[in-house]
Amino acid sequence: MISGFHCISKQPLNRIAGGRILGSKVVGKRTLILEAAMMAMASKYIFGGEARLADKMGNGELYNKNEDYKQLQKEKQLQRLKNLKNSRPMEPNYEGHIPLWPSEKLFLFLVSGIRSFYHPENGINIVQLGESTAIKPVLDHLHHTMLADPIGRRILKDKPEVKENTLHMETLANYPKNTFGYQFYTWCKRENVTPDTRAPIKYIDDPTHAFIFKRYRQCHDFYHALNNVPIIIEGEITIKALEGVNLGIPMALLGTLFAPWRLTKIQRERLFDIYLPWAVNSGLKCKPLINVYWEDLLDKDVNEVRKQIGLFPPPDLRTIRDQRRKELKDLNEKYKNLKEEYN
Amino acid sequence: MFSRGFIRKLATSTKSTPKITDILIVGGGPAGLTLATGIQESPILSKYNVTLVDGNDLLNKVGDFYYDPPSYFTNRVVSVTPQSMKFLTEKLKVALLQDRIQPYDGLYVNDGITDAFLEIEREEMLYMIEILNIQSSLLHKLTTNSINSRVNIFDNCKVKSITSSVKGDPTSWPLVELANGEIYKTRLLVGADGFNSPVRNFAGLYSRGWKYDTWGLVATLKLDPQSLPIYKLRGWQRFLPTGPLAHLPLPGDNASMVWSTGGNEMSSILMEMDSKLFVKMVNAGFILTTTDIQYYLDAFKKGTLTTEQIIEDIDDRINQVYSSFKDETQIDEKFPPLVVDVVPGTRARFPLKFSHADSYVTDRVALVGDAAHTTHPLVGQGLNMGQHDIEQLLNCLERATLRGQDIGSVLSLEPYWANSYGFNNIRLGMADKLHKLYHTDFTPVVAMRSLGLNIVNQLNPVKNLIADIMTGR
Ligand SMILES: Cc1cc2nc3c(=O)[nH]c(=O)nc-3n(C[C@H](O)[C@H](O)[C@H](O)COP(=O)(O)OP(=O)(O)OC[C@H]3O[C@@H](n4cnc5c(N)ncnc54)[C@H](O)[C@@H]3O)c2cc1C
Repeated sequence: MISGFHCISKQPLNRIAGGRILGSKVVGKRTLILEAAMMAMASKYIFGGEARLADKMGNGELYNKNEDYKQLQKEKQLQRLKNLKNSRPMEPNYEGHIPLWPSEKLFLFLVSGIRSFYHPENGINIVQLGESTAIKPVLDHLHHTMLADPIGRRILKDKPEVKENTLHMETLANYPKNTFGYQFYTWCKRENVTPDTRAPIKYIDDPTHAFIFKRYRQCHDFYHALNNVPIIIEGEITIKALEGVNLGIPMALLGTLFAPWRLTKIQRERLFDIYLPWAVNSGLKCKPLINVYWEDLLDKDVNEVRKQIGLFPPPDLRTIRDQRRKELKDLNEKYKNLKEEYN
Repeated sequence: MFSRGFIRKLATSTKSTPKITDILIVGGGPAGLTLATGIQESPILSKYNVTLVDGNDLLNKVGDFYYDPPSYFTNRVVSVTPQSMKFLTEKLKVALLQDRIQPYDGLYVNDGITDAFLEIEREEMLYMIEILNIQSSLLHKLTTNSINSRVNIFDNCKVKSITSSVKGDPTSWPLVELANGEIYKTRLLVGADGFNSPVRNFAGLYSRGWKYDTWGLVATLKLDPQSLPIYKLRGWQRFLPTGPLAHLPLPGDNASMVWSTGGNEMSSILMEMDSKLFVKMVNAGFILTTTDIQYYLDAFKKGTLTTEQIIEDIDDRINQVYSSFKDETQIDEKFPPLVVDVVPGTRARFPLKFSHADSYVTDRVALVGDAAHTTHPLVGQGLNMGQHDIEQLLNCLERATLRGQDIGSVLSLEPYWANSYGFNNIRLGMADKLHKLYHTDFTPVVAMRSLGLNIVNQLNPVKNLIADIMTGR
């Protein structure tokens, strides 16, 4: 690791000489060692892979065809995997589960929180922030919300997956135009997304909780589609607010609180005047969205579905934006004309 | 219950001459019968003439239980401490029906909302026994030793009225009129007459108390044969927001339950249910979440699901919970054995009360058992407190007799009250506080009590102290 640090920071020579000890000897002072170690820890996340590769090249390991050596490598790898496993707080509880220590969860929260603020467009940040803030009381609450409702119970039992093949996206295209399924299909096309783009759950320990959070995540697009809200940032904030109010999901609430600071004035005004009031109102009034079996509603009339859930769409964001754009254009035109006339 | 005018009228209209007795015991419940046996078995007290009166059919109905017990276990089952057991079998030499008694080795108590738990293990720390076993064994002892016995039992005979023989003089011997017209004049009147004690009312002993708006639902359960032999013989108690649910072991594939249910509605729904569904609800009560339980109760009440559908759903959910355990032995560690049936006719409910008389004694009167104190069954102390009372009262009467005192005087009786009030108060307080602490789902309270329970579970000295109180040491 330390050699990795040297590799990127100072003299590549040190690395070629190899070894941690030499690395720290070169630096010399204790405080510096500590600093270097910390930097190295951090850099491991960023540059770990390349550094290791470089190390190997340096050690002449990459092209060594020696059979014994291969065996040794394999053992080393197994040992490393075992060490990694022993470093975890528990055995994985489900496929893809990465058990974290509480301190690591806190770290994940801080890092993903900061990164989400600066780079909300990067999905992985939001995904990690979502999982690190989905603490047990929140998930317990969602679990109980589902257990208290017949449909929620059915969802817990069936454990449905929202995937392109489970939804049969291609057939949705042939559904009557007034159905929710068709609406969902056209929305996906318009926004250029597919249900398969949702990230799997990794850091939630309890398997039932993991399923509930996955369900929440996978159903996110249905909320968009039913309300005809685009995935541009204002739309995302609106739907996050709806989720936050309706389901009490901390990340959604955090998003609603912090994300607007990154918007332009006109976007913020639209959000505060139209979309957030709509989201809060609707979120409180409609039934818990986690208890909606969306898969059952695809062939239903979209207005029936809205009535059943108690959720009605806000003014169309894209239309408003287009209108404003057109107004601006018209004004610009006028201004240009005036200018020309004046000249 | 006994209006003053009514009492006076009855007293003046009687014509028969009073019979004299040394000690008149009203009530042939466990308390009254234990006291009568204690007096009969004591070399010092056996000279006294004792009259025991009870409104129920004691000699035939209750007494026959001893000679021809039913094949099933009856539903009024109590948890008895080794102390009470020793008192009954060694001091009073009562031969209980041993094969109907189940010793058990620990308690597992948990919070229905957070699953915080407390586990106490101590070999043969408590015994489960039917009240009828105790009563009929005592009756057997009283009726078979009748040659020298000076105890007379009048059953099927209610006490009609109680008055002082000298009006306005509380130290005068009380006159007790029975429903059959006979009148007794007694040196000492003992109230072992249960919660609504007529004796307590006569003596004007003030009793503080309240109803809990909670019903105790009891039943004898049949366990899943696959769970035999039982992994750990222990009492299980889960604190649900509606009240505690307890599962207590009986011999073989039997168990007894008490489900304290808040309000009238929940207990009547549980009483109404088909027995197949009822046993599933009992399993759900221990294994599933409080939300599940409420969901099933609502579905049953509103008829949104059929009995079969609810049963299927419960089975599904229990499997879900079971399969969430990586280590299967944890299932037996956390949940009592599954219940598959309930013995017909054993499902019954009774209102839970709390009461404690300020004093148990006054001139010529002493109260024992439920007449002096009634408690929530959640710490299983009701009967044991009564047994402790009687042990103390017997000591006190023996001492007074040896000193040549009048056994009916306050002077003689006072030590009894002094020695038992504190003992009972701790246990009554414990039950009452626990009831209140757990009768809520208010989050801060739930968090604090769970923290408390978890801490106590780590502290062996505290656990030992609780075990000591529960086992009567
Ligand atoms: C329906 C019911 C179910 C219970 N189930 C349980 C249980 O499952 N587990 C548990 O631990 N505890 C249970 N208890 C409590 C337990 O029964 C008592 O703690 C215990 O019986 C107290 O004994 P006792 O002798 O003091 O009073 P009781 O057993 O109440 O005896 C009082 C006796 O006095 C007699 N009596 C009253 N008034 C008169 C009168 N005017 N004239 C003549 N006789 C009279 C009654 O007939 C009765 O036999 C239950 C109580 C009730 C009422």
